[in-house]
This record gives sequence, C-alpha cells and structure tokens, in this order.
Amino acid sequence: MVNETDARLSEETPSFFAPRRKQLLLGRRAIVASTFSTVLIIGGLFAVFLLAPGGATVRHFFFNPHDMWQSFVGDHRDALSSVGLGLLTNIWVFLVAEVFVLTFGLAIAWTRMTKSPVLMPFRILAIIYSDIFRGIPVLLVFLLIGFGVPALQITFISNQSLAVYGCVSLILTYSAYVAEVFRAGIYSVPHGQLLAARSLGLTNATTMRRVILPQAVRTVVPPLLNDFISLQKDTALLSILGVIEAVQAGTIYQDLRFNSSGLVVASLLFLAMTIPLTRFTDNLIARDRNRRLASS
Amino acid sequence: MRNLRFTLAGLVTLATIGTVSLSTSVSANAATPSLTSCKTSIGSSEYTKGKLTVATDNPAYTPWFVSNTPSNGKGYESAVAYGIAKELGVKKSNVVWVHEPFNSSFAPGPKRFDFDINEISYTSARAQAVTFSNSYYDVQQSIIALKGSKIVKDHTPAELKTYQYGDQIGTTGLLFIDQHINPTKSTRVYNSLADAASALETKQIDAIVLDTPDGQYMASSGSGEVVNSKGKNIAVQVGQFPSVGEHYGLLFHKGNQLAGCVNAAIAAMKSSGSLAALQTKWLSIYTSVPVIEP
Amino acid sequence: MNEVILELDSVVKRFGDNEVLRGISLNLHRHEVVCLIGASGSGKSTLLRCVNLLETIDGGTITLFGQSLTDVRIDPDKVRRHTGMVFQSFNLFPHLTVLENVLVGPVRALKRKRSDVHDEAMQLLDRIGLRERSDEYPDRLSGGQQQRVAIVRSLAMRPALLLLDEVTSALDPSLVGEVLDLLRDLAHTGTTMLIATHEMNFARDVAQQVVYLDGGVLVEKGTPEEIFSNPQHESTRLFLERVR
Repeated sequence: MVNETDARLSEETPSFFAPRRKQLLLGRRAIVASTFSTVLIIGGLFAVFLLAPGGATVRHFFFNPHDMWQSFVGDHRDALSSVGLGLLTNIWVFLVAEVFVLTFGLAIAWTRMTKSPVLMPFRILAIIYSDIFRGIPVLLVFLLIGFGVPALQITFISNQSLAVYGCVSLILTYSAYVAEVFRAGIYSVPHGQLLAARSLGLTNATTMRRVILPQAVRTVVPPLLNDFISLQKDTALLSILGVIEAVQAGTIYQDLRFNSSGLVVASLLFLAMTIPLTRFTDNLIARDRNRRLASS
Repeated sequence: MRNLRFTLAGLVTLATIGTVSLSTSVSANAATPSLTSCKTSIGSSEYTKGKLTVATDNPAYTPWFVSNTPSNGKGYESAVAYGIAKELGVKKSNVVWVHEPFNSSFAPGPKRFDFDINEISYTSARAQAVTFSNSYYDVQQSIIALKGSKIVKDHTPAELKTYQYGDQIGTTGLLFIDQHINPTKSTRVYNSLADAASALETKQIDAIVLDTPDGQYMASSGSGEVVNSKGKNIAVQVGQFPSVGEHYGLLFHKGNQLAGCVNAAIAAMKSSGSLAALQTKWLSIYTSVPVIEP
Repeated sequence: MNEVILELDSVVKRFGDNEVLRGISLNLHRHEVVCLIGASGSGKSTLLRCVNLLETIDGGTITLFGQSLTDVRIDPDKVRRHTGMVFQSFNLFPHLTVLENVLVGPVRALKRKRSDVHDEAMQLLDRIGLRERSDEYPDRLSGGQQQRVAIVRSLAMRPALLLLDEVTSALDPSLVGEVLDLLRDLAHTGTTMLIATHEMNFARDVAQQVVYLDGGVLVEKGTPEEIFSNPQHESTRLFLERVR
C-alpha cells in the first residue's frame, strides 16, 4: 500500500536555475568558457614545450627551419634526397594500392558470401587469406614480401622495384581488411531487401548489383575511408625496404646531419595528405547520422 | 659512419655517408690535456664511475668487431676501444659495452655511454649535435667495376672523367664522384646499393664508387651482388683513392670533457704506432688495395 | 470454375526440428482469391514463401502450371517472375525512386525496354493515386502509400499469381483501409491471389475460399460463409472468437 504522505504531490514552486558554477557553462557564457579553456590548454602545452629543460635542444633537433627546408627540397650535390619528392612515392603507392584494394576487397567479400558448391575451395581460400593477412603485422608482410619474393628469382615477379613490393604488401593486407568492411556493409542491408529483390525474379548477381551493393555503399564508405587514411600512413613502411619515400628521405637527412627536422617535415606532409580525407570522412558520418535521425 | 640497411644481395653494411667536409679534416675538439692528468681525472667524467662505458650497434660487423662480441677485444674497433682504455689507465675488466642503435646515438638528451664507436664519419653538420673525437680511421673511397672492363686498365685522372658512374643516394661515394672525379656524364643515382649493383651488372653504368671495405665486400666471391648468368661474381675492386679527410670519430655527448682525454689517448696510440699496428692486424685486406688518383 | 494453376499436395516444411508445415494440401484456380487465416506462427507466411521458392520444402509437392517446383531443372528466378510477392514490411528499395522501384523488375528481370515499361508503370501509379510522387523516394511516403507501391511493383511484372503476406499488419490502423481497397479492386478485376491475412472482414468480402491453419496443419477450408458462419472445428471457432 502507498503511504498517504508519499502519494501527495509537492506544493512548492520549484526553481529551475542552475547553480552559479554551472551557469558559467550555459548560453553565451559557454563560448567564453570554451575559448578560455582552449587558450589555457593549448597555451599550457606550448609553455611546456618552450620551458622544458631540453626544450631548446628539441626545438633545434626537430623544428629547425633551416633543416626543415633543406630536408624538404633535398640537395643532390650533398647526396641528400628530398622529403618532398619522397612523398610522391607515397602518393603513387597509395593511389595504386587503393584501386587494387577496392577491387580485391570486393572480390574476396563476394567470394566469401557465395553459396555455390562449385566455389567451395575459393571460399575456403578467401577465409584463409583473410585470417592470415588480418593476423600478420603489416611490418612483417613488408619484410616477407620485400625480401622474400625477389629471392625466389622468378622472371618478372622477382625483378620489380622495392616500391612495388611495398605496394603489393599494402594491397595484400588492406584487401583483407576492406573485404571485411564490404562484408559488414552487405550484411547491414536488411534481409527483406534481398527477399523483395529475389521475389521479383532478379538473379543473384543483379540483386547484388542493383539492390544490395548500392545500399551497402552508404554504410561502407566511412569505415572504408578510415582504412584509406590508415593506408596512406602505412606507405611510410616502404622506408624499411629502403625505398626513398618521405620518411626514408627524412631518415637519411637525420643520419647525415644528426637532425630530425626532416622527419617533422614528413609528418607535416602526411598531415596535409590525410587531414582533408579525415575531415571529409567525419563530415560524411555526421551527414549520414543526421539523415538517419531525420528519417526516423 | 653507417646506417644499417638491408640490401637484396645479403645483409651488407652500407656506409651511407653524408656531407663530409672532405677537403677540411679539422674536427672540433677540446684542448687536449696530458695523458697523465687524464689518468687521475678520468673517474670524475665517466658515465659510471670507475667504468669506461663504450657503445656500439647490434649487430656489430666484421672486421670492426668479431663474432658480434665487442667485449672479446677482437676486430679493429673493439681493439681501438681497449687500446684507448689502456692509455687512460682503465683496466680491461672495467670496460663496459652497451648496445646503442645508430639512429639513437645522436638523439638529443643524456647519453647512456661515455663514447660510441660505430664507424661514424665526422662531418661539421653532425658536430653541431654531438662531439667527435679525432680520427681513429681514415676512410678511403674505391672504384668497383666489371672484370675485364675498360676502367680496370685505363684509370688515369683524365680517363676517369669519361666513364658513366652510378651510386646510391646519400653516400660519400656519390659525393666523391661529383666533388673529386667530376665526370662528364652526369652520375646516375639509385635508391639502394643493390639497385646500383644491378645497374653495373647490366652494364648501364661503368663503375660504382664506395668506401673500400664495402667495395671489397662487393668484389668478393661471396657477395653475389654483381654476378653473371651462372651466379659467379664478376665485380672487381679497381683501386682506392687517397684519403680526402673523411674519417671515423668516436661519438660523445655534446661537450663531454672526456673527449679531450680520449683524443690524447688516440694521439699517443698514433705516435707509438700501435694504432697503425691494429689497422695492419684487422684491416690489412683493405689497406692492401692499390691507390689510384682521382 | 477455371483451371487449377497452383496445387499443393501434402507440403511439409521443417526448420530444424520444428515442423512448421505438416502436410498442407490446397488448390488455387485462375482468378480465384484464397485467404489464409490463423494465428501468428501457424505457417501462413512460410506457405507463401514456399510457393515463391524463397524456402525449399521438405516433403510433398507444389505444382505450378502443371510443373513440379521440386524438379531440379526448375529455375527459381523464372518461377518468381510469374508469382508476385508482397511483404508485411513493404521492402521497397530505399535507394530507388517510387518509379524506379516499379520499373526495376520488368527492366532488370524481364529485360524489357525501360521506355516500353514506363507508361505501364505510370498507369499503375496513377491507379493508386501516386503518379505525381513517382520521382520521390519511398521514405517520403506514408506506410499505406509504400505498401500500395509495393503491390504495384509486383503487378508491374504481370504475374499470374499474387502472394500477399499480411500486407496490412505493419500499418497504422488508419492506413489499412486504402491498402485493402486496392486489394478489393484487384480481386474484382480477376487477379489470382493467395492472401495471408488477419483482416477477417476483408477475407469474408473478397475470398472465394478461406483456409484456416493451426500449428502447421490445415484444419479447415471452405467458402467464407462456411468458415465464418459455421466453422466445423473447435479450434477454428475459438480462433474466430478471439480475433473478432
């Protein structure tokens, strides 16, 4: 039984004002508060950088403008390679890898999802492939491909440049990841869509192409772009094969001049390359979220 | 100096050497104190009191070390380190070896060793970040060509200018070609030494210039870098150029006072002839390469 | 009576140990409307899916236009092109416009020219009063409108037989009427339909034959009059009392 006093409604007039401290974070004051905290935190970090006991050394070692410029442009007469030119290698490897990764990733996802008994061995191969290349660290794939394949001494296959082996390593690894992204995307399309398409008499392939994939793409694009950002960065691993890309050029500069500003330059160039893509991806995710919220 | 890198033909130590002030071999060093005063003062400047802590990379390669064991006293650099210790009155048992990867040996911040001995070439740019000792080994560049090719016989200074050279980027060999040989055809630059070697193998270039020990390796039957269709080595070391001042120095934390005492020890080893004796003992295959003029 | 076009004989379907259809036998004639009634889980939907080969049967035979669907030489896609299916949850393709939804079957499955089908599709949309909205995407339509488009999407295939699986169950009560009106309209123009439904009044109006299923068993079948006014079985009577 409910106690009579408990059941009675309050007759006080409630106050809805936030406590004074919390009021600072409401309305227009919030802008002031956020500006203040931003300045404080960034300023604080900057102060640590400026005032640390080794700050001056670190600034010279990593951020010396002269060394940054020198490493960026390189100098043939001084046997220095250019970080800026090195980045071109990262870019072509990334672009080529991206095209192959999309194709192979989709093919692997497709293979894994087929039901035909004839394709059984391919399904098993696809599963083994995914397991292996999602399981081995990219670095090891680079070393195994980069030093193993040339040693096989097969005509054409063993005579490629090291950048090609690096590119192949990236393709092998990222195809496995991207295949999973595609698979998840395809599974995210409601089963009813498949039923509806098949009940119209569309073949399996037409259903995939006209109904499932167009819908899967929407869910697939953000994680796919994230994988591509990661792919862009992993082109830096070409350096361990001795390919003169941005990082390796920075390392050579560092080894020759005992100054790491070239690596900072490489970092900045990578940022310039990835930030547009990260911003674009985040926007896409936000837009998709808004649309979902609006339609429900 | 070196920057360890894998090459296709095998694990070869590449001497990737940079802006060496080849014409001027003056190292910035502290005023050299007397060995006698060093023997008493050394304790106060050591990284670990009473011990001389010496660093090198792992793996440490022959002939600079033997069996990747710096503490066995074998190999040129190991022997030099113990020689310096002896001059400074440090007992052999008080020499401590630590591993220091090349890339971190020059990073800013405190060092974990007294000095690093790792085939590191002195350059003025590098000397802004660390302190170098005086030379304990003068590096010479050598010419590698195909057996029986024209350059093997004809290599007067004038003739040397007429050949097509190729080399790995970032090496002193490349610098030497451009600064001392001045060939008429512009040098071809490759990303790795292996790429340069295969260019030589396929006769796209006439010669590679690289420092004598690495050149010796490339021309040896076991290297497999430049081979004919039967896998037989077809590279030959034509000769080495006189030293132009490129040299290896011991690496110290910037401003380390111990460098002065170590320089005194090196000077003593030079004047007593013991440094030359160590070179004969451990590096004779290199010093025996004939000298040619650029 | 017209010729029999669909013949179910002792159809059995299992999902694992669960037998959901236990020897169903049923005939459907051309221009006939048959309503399947019964509680949820009685096997109505499964029966429809078996006819459309979205499920394979474990026993008995289904014969469509004299051809046994269990024959291994049967192409399921061809069967489906002649048997339209409409689902409880509409399943319109959200990435296609209303018109594209209607066109996709004839164009992609029947390989008819888009220009040939276009006018037909517009006429069908006109019939359900959605001609003006042909370029909009399905999520802009109400549930009733979407379901009507889904029915029209099936009709555009010119099927010999329409299978409808509780097409009003997911709809707001206020939107049920418009969909049922369309079905009534179709029934009057002679569309052959096998309809799983919970709408008893609708079944009484349009069906020539009403079939009551319970637990995968065909308990009773007859004219609407027979089933609704004078059910022979206790379970039929109890079911009808509950839904009334």
